[in-house]
Amino acid sequence: MSRMNRDAWLAVFLLLFTGFMFWASFEIREPDYGVLAPSVWPRVILIIFGFLATLLLVQSLRAGPGTIDEGEKDRPSSVKGYLVYWRNPIVCFGLFAAYLALLPVLGMLIDGMAFVFALLGALGGWTPRNMAIHAAVAVITVGGMWSLFTFGLNVLLPTGMLIPGL
Amino acid sequence: MIIENIMLAFGEVLTLKTVLLMTLGVAGGLIAGAIPGFTIAMAVVLTLPFTFSMPPSQGLATMVSVLVGGLSGGLMAGILTGIPGTPSSVATTFDGFPMARNGKPGLALGLGVWSSFCGGMISAVLLVTLAPQLARVGLEFQPWDYFMLVMFALTITASLAGKNIVKGLMAGALGLLVRTVGEDEAAGMARFDFGSDMLLGGFDFIAVLIGLFAFSQLLNDVRDPEMARKSLSEASPVKARIEHRNAIREIAKRWIIVVRSAFIGTFTGILPGAGGSVANILAYDQAKKSSRHPEKFGTGIPDGVIAPESSNNAVEGGALITMMALGIPGDVTTAVMLGALLIHDVVPSPTFITEEPVLAYSIFIAFFIANFIMLFLQSGMLRVFILVTRIRMYFLAAVILGFCGMGVFALNNVASDLWTLLWFGILGFLMRHFGFPLAPMILGVVLGNIAELNLARALAINESLLPFFTRPWALFFLIIALFSAMFPWFQTARGRKKWTLFYLPVACFAACVPLAMMAWQNSSVPRGVIAVIVVTSGAYILAQRWRSGWSLEAHAGHELSES
Repeated sequence: MSRMNRDAWLAVFLLLFTGFMFWASFEIREPDYGVLAPSVWPRVILIIFGFLATLLLVQSLRAGPGTIDEGEKDRPSSVKGYLVYWRNPIVCFGLFAAYLALLPVLGMLIDGMAFVFALLGALGGWTPRNMAIHAAVAVITVGGMWSLFTFGLNVLLPTGMLIPGL
Repeated sequence: MIIENIMLAFGEVLTLKTVLLMTLGVAGGLIAGAIPGFTIAMAVVLTLPFTFSMPPSQGLATMVSVLVGGLSGGLMAGILTGIPGTPSSVATTFDGFPMARNGKPGLALGLGVWSSFCGGMISAVLLVTLAPQLARVGLEFQPWDYFMLVMFALTITASLAGKNIVKGLMAGALGLLVRTVGEDEAAGMARFDFGSDMLLGGFDFIAVLIGLFAFSQLLNDVRDPEMARKSLSEASPVKARIEHRNAIREIAKRWIIVVRSAFIGTFTGILPGAGGSVANILAYDQAKKSSRHPEKFGTGIPDGVIAPESSNNAVEGGALITMMALGIPGDVTTAVMLGALLIHDVVPSPTFITEEPVLAYSIFIAFFIANFIMLFLQSGMLRVFILVTRIRMYFLAAVILGFCGMGVFALNNVASDLWTLLWFGILGFLMRHFGFPLAPMILGVVLGNIAELNLARALAINESLLPFFTRPWALFFLIIALFSAMFPWFQTARGRKKWTLFYLPVACFAACVPLAMMAWQNSSVPRGVIAVIVVTSGAYILAQRWRSGWSLEAHAGHELSES
């Protein structure tokens, strides 16, 4: 265990993933026709992937613990530190997930504006001046894009339950 | 017939609407290319949703324009701020920025603009002449050869894309695996659906590309809260006027550099995986090596701007040659364009140019015209660039993420594509974090079906696996795939380990075997000549190393430096 580093843990995870997917490949039905069964190609890929993951494990174990790539030296080691360090990407993913969850309710136009506004606020700060600018940017850009898709490209974007038609 | 097709293609491209869209495309590309952190591939990916409702020639002309604009946009940021807008303009900053600081920003920009134009034009000529020839060679490919070609493309991309070849190959394999989710094309059986309707339908690969590339890149750009709130240029506005006349005069004096660099760019582009980021450094390095005053490089001399800019604009011509002639994307941007063709039910393959001549020539013509549009737009875009540099990063990121949502929904009008975007955005972000290159994965996603279909076809014709090793083309691709997979180890060990002295000669000897087989089987004199040249080169290198007493020092120190 003392030789484990980040890549070694990653390789172990990827080996488990390979094993799981290989097991899942036995769920693929085999038809009576065709020369190449549908499960063969994924299994070939998984065997190669598993071999490479093993190679990565050996490579990282040989490198030993504490092997840090350039540019990673300032990265935190505690969970709290990680959350602070990755705050912006986590907020972006969270807001995007919320945007998708609310899409059937708010519709693409309002949901899009709300998402851009919330993201701008989360990344740029919530001062009154910022909020006014962010609201204007969200309305103009999302409204513009929505109009372009709806009227210019005739794409039917999803409407919401809240305000039918929008 | 060719003239007729060219005329028809001109008719398709030279409509008011298409030219207008191309102008917008070039302008958008110039701006996207000028913003550090926003790659050209991202700009092309984001253009894709707009092109769905367009006819194929119009959509592709727009995307080609974004590509040409993006390649040229990077030079503005590089020269004026010292921060390259794209990786393909890194070498431009070595002399472009010092030249601007020495009081000649207009000349530096002029040299960049005109070199880009010349490089693009030379590459366009090579595209028109080489693509049909290469396609003719491609017609010889049988499923075994095609399968091995895909494997070669993945291997070389993996070996060139990142520091760790194992991670590169894993990324490529993961891309292939992602493509197997859903119903398989040959038998229609469900694979890895885990009872979910969303997975049964498979992942829309454009949503996967946008997630992997654009979404994850944007989040990377805003990771640092302080940097996210900064604009590109916090300093006073940059003022410059492009000096066209002086630039043309300087370039005319150095036409050899332009031609050589354009050739370097085009041939680097033909090689899958090696894009503008490699070509601009290679061309700069060659210009420095062949200069009478190599010590002046880095101080702000015209040669140092002309070489990288001529080469990076030529790269896409090369990448388009491979894509159009063989159906294999040379880099991420052409992978996206290949995706655009597939959306329009056009499958690029060696028969593409003969079966879809008008569309093929439309792409050629669009590439030519886009270079002219780029030339005219650069001066105007300089002012826009200065405005764009004042926008804070997080504004761009939030607005583009909002756009990603709409654009991806427009692909198939299904909300599940948006979830695909999110999951692959997270995956791309994690892959970047753990040091996995994304280019091989993207190529794996794009080429996964092609590889499986050709494997199925090959086994349907002959159940034996022997043709993969006995057919000349398949063997040729297998050999170069193996040697390209070993290339990173060779690069690391060069000058330190004895075996590296034999790498190139052995590669030459091995590659000449399938070439000789081709010459023998087809009674082809040119291939016989190529085989002789290859084997002679190998023998010459070996003899040179024997003469130097197998000394390692003599072959060390050839790495490309950025100084």
